[in-house]
Amino acid sequence: MSTFGVRIVKIFVVKTEIPTSIDRSPASLPKDPYPYIGIRPEDEKYYKAADTIKCKDGSNNFSKFQLNDDFCDCADGTDEPGTSACPGGKFYCRNAGHVPVLLFSSRVNDGICDCCDGSDEYDGKVKCSNTCWEAGKVARGKLKKKISTHLEGVALWKQEVEQAKVAIAKDEAELSKLKNEEKILKGLVQQLKERKEQIEKAEERERLQKEKEDKKKQEAEESVNQEKSVVEEAKQEAGDTEEKADSEGKAMENTLHDEIGVVEDSPVDQENDVTENTKGLSREELGRLVASRWTGGDTEKQNGKIDGGKDNDHEDHDETSKDADDEEEDGYASETDEDTGKYDDSSVEDEIDEAYEDEYHDDSSSSSYKPVSDDESDFSDTTTPSGPSWLEKIQQTVRNILQAVNLFQPPLDKSDADRVRKEYDLSSTKLSKLQSRISSLTQKLKHDFGPEEEFYSFYDRCFEIKQNKYVYKVCPFKEASQVEGHSTTRLGRWDKFEDSYQVMVFSDGDRCWNGPDRSLKVRLRCGLKNEIMDVDERSRCEYSVLMSTPALCLEEKLKGDGR
Amino acid sequence: MRTQMRTINILLLLLFLSSQTVNSWKREEFRNCNQATFCKRARSRKPGECSLIAHDVGISDGELTAKLLPKDIPDQSHEEDQEPHQIKPLILTLSVYQDGILRLKIDEDPSLDPPKKRFEVPDVIIPEFDAKKLWLQRVSTEIIDGDVGSSSIIYLSDGYEAVVRHDPFEVYVREKGRNVRVVSLNSHSLFDFEQLRTKKEGEDWEERFKSNTDTRPYGPQSISFDVSFYDADFVSGIPEHATSLALKPTRGPGVEESEPYRLFNLDVFEYLHESPFGLYGSIPFMIAHGKSGKSSGFFWLNAAEMQIDVLGSGWDAESGISLPSSQNRIDTLWMSEAGIVDTFFFVGSGPKDVVKQYTVVTGRPSMPQLFSTAYHQCRWNYRDEEDVEHVDSKFDEHDIPYDVLWLDIEHTDGKRYFTWDKVLFPHPDEMQRKLAAKGRHMVAIVDPHIKRDESFPLHKEATQKGYYVKDASGKDFDGWCWPGSSSYLDMLSPEIRSWWGDKFSYENYVGSTPSLYIWNDMNEPSVFNGPEITMPRDALHNGAVEHRELHNAYGYYFHMATADGLLKREDGMDRPFVLSRAFFAGSQRYGAVWTGDNTADWDHLRVSVPMVLTLGLTGISFAGADVGGFFGNPEPELLVRWYQLGAYYPFFRAHAHQDTKRREPWLFGERNTELIREAVHVRYILLPYFYTLFREANTTGAPVARPLWMEFPSDEATFSIDEAFMVGSSLLVQGVFTERAKHASVYLPGKESWYDMKTGTAYKGGKVYKLELSEESVPAFQKAGTIIPRKDRFRRSSTQMVHDPYTLVIALNSSLAAEGELYVDDGKSFEYEKGGYIHRRFVFSNGKLTSLNLASVSSRKSKFSSECIVERIILLGYTSGPKNALVEPSNQKVEIELGPLWPQGGRGAAVMTIRKPGVRISDDWTIKIL
Repeated sequence: MSTFGVRIVKIFVVKTEIPTSIDRSPASLPKDPYPYIGIRPEDEKYYKAADTIKCKDGSNNFSKFQLNDDFCDCADGTDEPGTSACPGGKFYCRNAGHVPVLLFSSRVNDGICDCCDGSDEYDGKVKCSNTCWEAGKVARGKLKKKISTHLEGVALWKQEVEQAKVAIAKDEAELSKLKNEEKILKGLVQQLKERKEQIEKAEERERLQKEKEDKKKQEAEESVNQEKSVVEEAKQEAGDTEEKADSEGKAMENTLHDEIGVVEDSPVDQENDVTENTKGLSREELGRLVASRWTGGDTEKQNGKIDGGKDNDHEDHDETSKDADDEEEDGYASETDEDTGKYDDSSVEDEIDEAYEDEYHDDSSSSSYKPVSDDESDFSDTTTPSGPSWLEKIQQTVRNILQAVNLFQPPLDKSDADRVRKEYDLSSTKLSKLQSRISSLTQKLKHDFGPEEEFYSFYDRCFEIKQNKYVYKVCPFKEASQVEGHSTTRLGRWDKFEDSYQVMVFSDGDRCWNGPDRSLKVRLRCGLKNEIMDVDERSRCEYSVLMSTPALCLEEKLKGDGR
Repeated sequence: MRTQMRTINILLLLLFLSSQTVNSWKREEFRNCNQATFCKRARSRKPGECSLIAHDVGISDGELTAKLLPKDIPDQSHEEDQEPHQIKPLILTLSVYQDGILRLKIDEDPSLDPPKKRFEVPDVIIPEFDAKKLWLQRVSTEIIDGDVGSSSIIYLSDGYEAVVRHDPFEVYVREKGRNVRVVSLNSHSLFDFEQLRTKKEGEDWEERFKSNTDTRPYGPQSISFDVSFYDADFVSGIPEHATSLALKPTRGPGVEESEPYRLFNLDVFEYLHESPFGLYGSIPFMIAHGKSGKSSGFFWLNAAEMQIDVLGSGWDAESGISLPSSQNRIDTLWMSEAGIVDTFFFVGSGPKDVVKQYTVVTGRPSMPQLFSTAYHQCRWNYRDEEDVEHVDSKFDEHDIPYDVLWLDIEHTDGKRYFTWDKVLFPHPDEMQRKLAAKGRHMVAIVDPHIKRDESFPLHKEATQKGYYVKDASGKDFDGWCWPGSSSYLDMLSPEIRSWWGDKFSYENYVGSTPSLYIWNDMNEPSVFNGPEITMPRDALHNGAVEHRELHNAYGYYFHMATADGLLKREDGMDRPFVLSRAFFAGSQRYGAVWTGDNTADWDHLRVSVPMVLTLGLTGISFAGADVGGFFGNPEPELLVRWYQLGAYYPFFRAHAHQDTKRREPWLFGERNTELIREAVHVRYILLPYFYTLFREANTTGAPVARPLWMEFPSDEATFSIDEAFMVGSSLLVQGVFTERAKHASVYLPGKESWYDMKTGTAYKGGKVYKLELSEESVPAFQKAGTIIPRKDRFRRSSTQMVHDPYTLVIALNSSLAAEGELYVDDGKSFEYEKGGYIHRRFVFSNGKLTSLNLASVSSRKSKFSSECIVERIILLGYTSGPKNALVEPSNQKVEIELGPLWPQGGRGAAVMTIRKPGVRISDDWTIKIL
């Protein structure tokens, strides 16, 4: 096979042989086929050179009478290009009017027309009509369209690259500007903080001073008896609080008891003895439970949940939430959701239990992606065109405040103090927003956006396709998910580009029952729009998306084989 | 508070620990012997407890009859406090059939009005069997040495006679005129027959297991007895268990507490590879074999739950019962919950004779379609039409042949069988036609559970006609399976089976085409919310038959109904292909069987061999295991080894669970693709040989895949081998069952040499070889003295190979002789039954190869012709170097040269090859080496 070095030829070859006259009649059926049938034109010399021909792998020789004599003399099939005698052979169809093709010689005379010129079926058992001209026309049409698409695509690609350059420059500029601002703002915040602390100290001093004065006044005014009753009142109050705390504690215990009950009732039994615990189940529930062993339905997931719950290991614990997602997908959500709810409550109330705590964290982390974007939009008001002046404004305000508020002249002006506090709060909020914007920009710029950064615009975009009941959502550099109604299953987190930027890989998605973590690959191909063409789950939990994008319309490709 | 937290943590830890086992087989979910009253009772009985005596022995209607009565009839006048005990005799009938078959029936006396007629399994014994009955003329009486009473003796066959000893009652087969026994029943007086009776007041007949209650309205009705096999070193058979070929003792000295072999059809989730527990099918047929080279067999036609103990020698040491000690003996205990005694004794004397005799009773394996003997590609699930097209085209792209693409349950519209998911499979007929254009076929699944959905016409009709199995209260039984709430058709009824069969017509099964065949799964039946994941024993079938009485045959009737449906679909012109998971005695007549939901690990690969061999021994020749393992993801090495072994399974199909990664042959890198392609090619190259073997099975019952001892019955060294097997009588295959194995120990039996199938290297017989393993194939050897027909051209599917020329591989024995056969027919119709086939015997001796006609020339109503020629004859073991051969009668000289043994070069030295003899396989001819 390797000596031929030719695989089955792909459909598109730019140079197409177009014959001057076309034979539209069924392929002629020579009883004794042309001795050089199935040989590539460039090889004919090899076969015609001498009466004894060498097998290309050097394993043997054969006479010219043994060429295509329907008996295999060369292990590599050299002597039988035109018959099916050698398993390793290759048959060449000329396919005038279309593209020549190399077939496995096992296709010769097998009753199925493989070559459009019908030359592979010559033993008379079937009649193949010559369809090369029509097929060629269609192929050429397709190719033309593909080429024109590609040409247009190349222009778009160039635009894309240009835009990316601009966008990157803009983002980088913004980043450096933000960093500058951050520096200044940090300074301001620091100043405000100091001033605020000074104010607070001053206030404290004033308060103590006032108290002292008040006390003196009181002492002067009130008798000892009165003092006594005040103390008793205070005691009473303290007792009340204690009692309250106590009963709260008990309530908490009760909830915990309940939860233990829940845990005991279902999964424990299930481990030890499925049928036993099925006593509590309806016949339908039992049926589902057993079915789920094969399919991974409700119950197994519950187990997974418990597993994850008590395990502090982060990975395991990820499974938990994924399983919960699965449940939603399967439409058995209600039960488990309730459970999750309980766990959550307790975790909020009781931080001792790590398991519950994890559960809680997990829920929040599963939507971690969202806050980032919220942040960005939140921040946008600060970066609007009016933006450039906001820092100056703050600076001005701070300057004013700092000058206006005189700490060393008690009594303090209440409104001044409030202004400082407000301004401090405002600018430290601004600062944290600024910092998160910086970090997200830094994060973004760290990514590999392709050799010419042509994928830069993908960063802030998501692409969707609806298939049956699911919506598939692909957010490059972030994550991919499958949405059905209100439930979202993560199909993968951004991993990397593969195959010289022709494939985007998302891995480490939600865990499949009894299967791998979900993962998704996006195969990119040249197209005029950024658009998902197709999605497929060939292997369970391994998704494959086909997406067209100008980012793949490379100029070299046009010059190359036209793939 | 702290302690609370700790409690929770401990609980969670416990959960975590126990959840490790969650996904594996749940022993406690299935009833063991002690949990079933009939089994516990039978197992606790002591030898000698049976006091039955045979009375009134005589001949009537060509059969021997007798009455069985207890020895001491209790004097009822002295038992006033007890209820009067009516003594009812049992009726014993002994009948004799051609070919050495003895049938023993014992049932209640119908003239004494038993509360209910006990169930006899219908439609298992083939109608032709009756005609084989010998009309008994006379019975002789003799007092056998050491006996007090007399025995009645009848003729069985040349060399054998059947004996009924009267007191204590015992039935056995012995060699004529000698006290050499073959098989016996009740030699340890363990026989027990619980007769049906009315319920006493206060008596509780209910049986509870887990949360299920079996009402047992007819009370105890079990039967048990001991069976002994003589001159036997081991017993085998009684599938289906994932265990060794030679059955290990389950009781006796040195046997740890063990369960009997259970026969109870169950859908077992992730079954274990070494266990006596029952799996998907049941065949109560056992074969015994010993170093004398002789075999015998015993079959109990009974479809209720059965448990069988293999008793280790010395188990009866304290019983005081002495049986002839000159003969090696294996004792067994057979226990059944219901039914009657309807048993068959097979005298052998060789292993093939026993299988032949057994298949005289239950029928020979049907002749499969040629395509179905090739490679099948399956997965749960090929998702949609695009997926199907993609997989199909990938096979072509990688030049890997395959014949059948399978669709699992997801292809249906909501698990309503006979329908198609409109979104995923909008054009099923077009899809099938596209495959058919490449000579390929499709198989779709049809399970016995019917979705209880008023808008589903099949359900509506079945409900209206009352065709469902009823629950104990008489309502349509409602169980849970894939579609959710489901009911199950009562396949016991021929009327319902016929109605079911009509559903396969092209009009009824919309979207089906002639290239679509069927897969019956879940037919144990699997009921997810039933006791032991199956139907309750007190469910009711047609004619007030309880499910307990026919449970093990339910899947068999379903298989039968489906196969009959496919037969009807083409007016009896097209051989059905139906794969079934559940099976019973006789399933071989209806199609193939596979070993169910196995697991992708090396142990399951290993156990697949004894499982497939056992099925073959018990009639089901067309059997295989899921290549790759159903559950889990096989490492590429395991997958490749599985393909290499699976290519020799009679039924060769790859299958996988929906949660596994895709594992089509090209997904594991170029090298592994190459290795799998080569493994699949082995099967396609050997198809002519396999098809010839399927025909042999069809005519004689001899399985395609055979234990070594079937071919070498006197060679004791073969008795424990179940990692290697014979494909027919010419090929020995050794599996590789460990990771990165460098060597394998292979025992090559017999006096003749063996030739490595790929390299041609010769090995002397009768020795164990430590062979270096190649990653390219599992060891396979052709026995010297045999001729194997091959087709060496690689095509897309078997369909395109029809006109391809043959290669004959002649492996010469020490006297430079060899023999082999070739059977060819149209591969699909029943014309072969009318003589439309080619059957040749090739004989090589004295330097001359002769092709002889084996087809009977007389009664031929149909003729099959073929233009196929022999393109190459390979001679292994021919030392001198002749240059030419003469073909007669054409008187043509042809060349002899050195060529490769295996297509595409092979690994061995070049071998002597007759080039292009050009003779047609349908003709008589000779080729003489000059």
